[in-house]
Amino acid sequence: MRTEERNGVAGAGRDQFPVGMRVLAVDDDPVCLKVLETLLRRCQYHVTTTNQAVIALRMLRENREMFDLVISDVHMPDMDGFKLLELVGLEMDLPVIMLSVNGETKTVMKGITHGACDYLLKPVRIEELRNIWQHVVRRKFSTRECVTLDTYEECNKPLSADSDYAYGQVTCGSPDQSGRPSKKRKEYHSEEEDEDEDSNGQDNDDPSAPKRPRVVWSVELHRKFVAAVNHLGIDKAVPKRILELMNVEKLTRENVASHLQKYRLYLRRLSAVASQQAGIVAALGGRDPFLRMDAFEGLQGYQAFTSPAALSSFSAHGLSSPRNNQAAVVIQGRSIHTGSVSSTTNNSIGDANKYHLSLQGNQHGKLAQGLATSLGQAQLQQKWMNEDNGDLSAILCGNSLVKGMPSTLRSVTSSTLLPQDQVECTQAKVAIQPSIRAPPASLELLEGAVGASSDPLESRVSQQGALPLCGFSGSRLPVHGPFNNNGATRLGDAFSASFRPTNDLTVARGSKVGASSFGGTIHLSPDTEQKYWSFGSGNSFRQKADESSADSLLDPKLVWSSSQLTSNVDAHHSMSQRSNNCSINIGHGARMFGQISANASPVVPQAKIDFLFSGDTSMARNASESSIPRLQTELSSSTCSFDGLLNSMIKVVTQLISLYLVYHPSYFKEQNQFLEARNPFLFIII
Amino acid sequence: MAAVALKNQLNAHIASMFAAGFLDKQFQELQMLQDDGSSPGFVSEVVGLFIDDAEKITGLIAGLLDQPVVDFDKVDALVHQLKGSSASVGAQRVKLSCEQFHSYYEAKNRDGCVMALALLRNEFYDSRSKFQTMFQLEQQIEACS
Repeated sequence: MRTEERNGVAGAGRDQFPVGMRVLAVDDDPVCLKVLETLLRRCQYHVTTTNQAVIALRMLRENREMFDLVISDVHMPDMDGFKLLELVGLEMDLPVIMLSVNGETKTVMKGITHGACDYLLKPVRIEELRNIWQHVVRRKFSTRECVTLDTYEECNKPLSADSDYAYGQVTCGSPDQSGRPSKKRKEYHSEEEDEDEDSNGQDNDDPSAPKRPRVVWSVELHRKFVAAVNHLGIDKAVPKRILELMNVEKLTRENVASHLQKYRLYLRRLSAVASQQAGIVAALGGRDPFLRMDAFEGLQGYQAFTSPAALSSFSAHGLSSPRNNQAAVVIQGRSIHTGSVSSTTNNSIGDANKYHLSLQGNQHGKLAQGLATSLGQAQLQQKWMNEDNGDLSAILCGNSLVKGMPSTLRSVTSSTLLPQDQVECTQAKVAIQPSIRAPPASLELLEGAVGASSDPLESRVSQQGALPLCGFSGSRLPVHGPFNNNGATRLGDAFSASFRPTNDLTVARGSKVGASSFGGTIHLSPDTEQKYWSFGSGNSFRQKADESSADSLLDPKLVWSSSQLTSNVDAHHSMSQRSNNCSINIGHGARMFGQISANASPVVPQAKIDFLFSGDTSMARNASESSIPRLQTELSSSTCSFDGLLNSMIKVVTQLISLYLVYHPSYFKEQNQFLEARNPFLFIII
Repeated sequence: MAAVALKNQLNAHIASMFAAGFLDKQFQELQMLQDDGSSPGFVSEVVGLFIDDAEKITGLIAGLLDQPVVDFDKVDALVHQLKGSSASVGAQRVKLSCEQFHSYYEAKNRDGCVMALALLRNEFYDSRSKFQTMFQLEQQIEACS
């Protein structure tokens, strides 16, 4: 709230509240709009009018601080007034007054239940309008005591709450979209299918309740929440039970309920994104969950919340099924960033798709990656998880997502890596180097997959310096084991830059768990630094992968693997059960995810994805060769079906994402020093 | 003076509109807004908008009812909108006939709707001509002074 700005009386400018209160009036009927405008002006308010809800939303999103109150008609052709009401309430936490000629009780009731502060009947009388300022005051008043807490939190958050209003309040991991061009945000918004942004605000479900302390959903808390939800199953999770499972004092059922609502929206958004991404995959028989990815739109504000299920499943499975022959899992990062996630995502996806298509030239299946948004992963995860023979070559194309992404990615990587247990990763960098062997024709590279070639990656990585992005404790970094065929991929510390798991990133392994526990908001960027996923370019997949191509595909920083992969690619044909180590380096920092470099080349049938988590991840599960605690997913390619590949990819990705999600943004910030330098634009192409 | 006479005429005209139920309290509100001085020409502007809008809406409704299969939801939405705008202006008769229309489209009764539309249109045309007379008088007054 803009308490600071307008503090009742006094001050300059519009401090003669309610005089000068800024109202946004939305009504498709020109007559009503005109009358309303005049009446409001007569009350000495500052009025902005529009006859389209989408324009109104855009204005509000561009600058939340521009208005104090919104008045909207119920019946509008382009968008239902109730929906607008919900969105405004969720995203901007502004008071909304509904207006309608229909005064039926049930309609009024609907307005109130959707969160309207008031419901006026047309024709509106000026007397009624004279008092609408009370709603603004009331809202401010109820959050006043939270203000200090919030601001405190915000100060502590690194990069959080940057221009991204979405994260105004504390939420798990504030996404850090600082780099995001506003244009993207707009696109994001417009594309948002669902308008269900999770409100960044804290769950203050009863705005008018005075003195209610705001609940800050820290990473820790969110993790518990996600764990509880996963335990119960996303469909069956009810606030009461979640609350019981979480066992956190001072948390009320309402807090949980509102947080759950946001979480669900987030998941839905993820799946929407996934479905988009999965479009291609689907065509190839991709998996279901993957298809559900939609654009991230919804991510705005709500840091990517990859669908837990997907992630969990993904993570659980992805890693644990090394044997599967995974073509490179290409994870296209979609740019996830708070705020403009959608736009970015869309862009990225689009690009990815394009890119991917180029890759596809061959029949290889495309790896649906959806990694990018990590969200999508989640979805995929679910399904993928169950795939035993996931052919997963996780190639994470690492484009660092906008700040927020890294976290997600991290989680994903971490999740993928962990075979079946929860992975506790602090912000470890997960270096996943997929050594991807081009699977025989079956593997299609995922869109924008990140092919990480082991060797090149390293070098690349070091070049980019990205890897070290994360403050990952170098020690662990991963670089795990050698890529077969390629020589050992070693991700140097630098390489592993991957994510540094924050504290304990517990990735619910259980793929079995329905709801994946995504940690906190994906804040993709909490750590300001760009989380950078360096993903090898899918080029590697290409049979003839040429290093250069790979590089070109990927963002320079990210490129990894192309060369590596190529070498691996050669190995692909062998479809042997060999597990290639695919290390996917997920670098922090925003980086564009390398497009999957056209490696459409057949994915290596066996790809082992090693996710390296440096730091204190306790998950070292993999038995894989590296001694470094790293998560390795060995995907043995049993089949080169692109499905399998996709699955595996998705799994990996989702796991990674889930891992990330768990991170608390602020934590990240501390950890990642490198990322600053990186291009904050994290773009994961899927 | 001519202006005075015209003003008297205008007032009488408006009074008769009120008496006949063409106008209601909302119109008075609008008049007061205008009379405050800060929004001159406000009433005529709004009424002008209303007339154009209503014309368009009634045309659309007629078109919808002409279809082999009537989309009653759309009809509903249009009537609803017209009701809102007429209420905002204070065109009472039009508003009332919109309300009557409601029962017909609720019942998805095409013939009933057609009839209701005819009634609605009549009311609207009547109101429109009254408004136009009002505007002419106002313009004449303007011209005089």
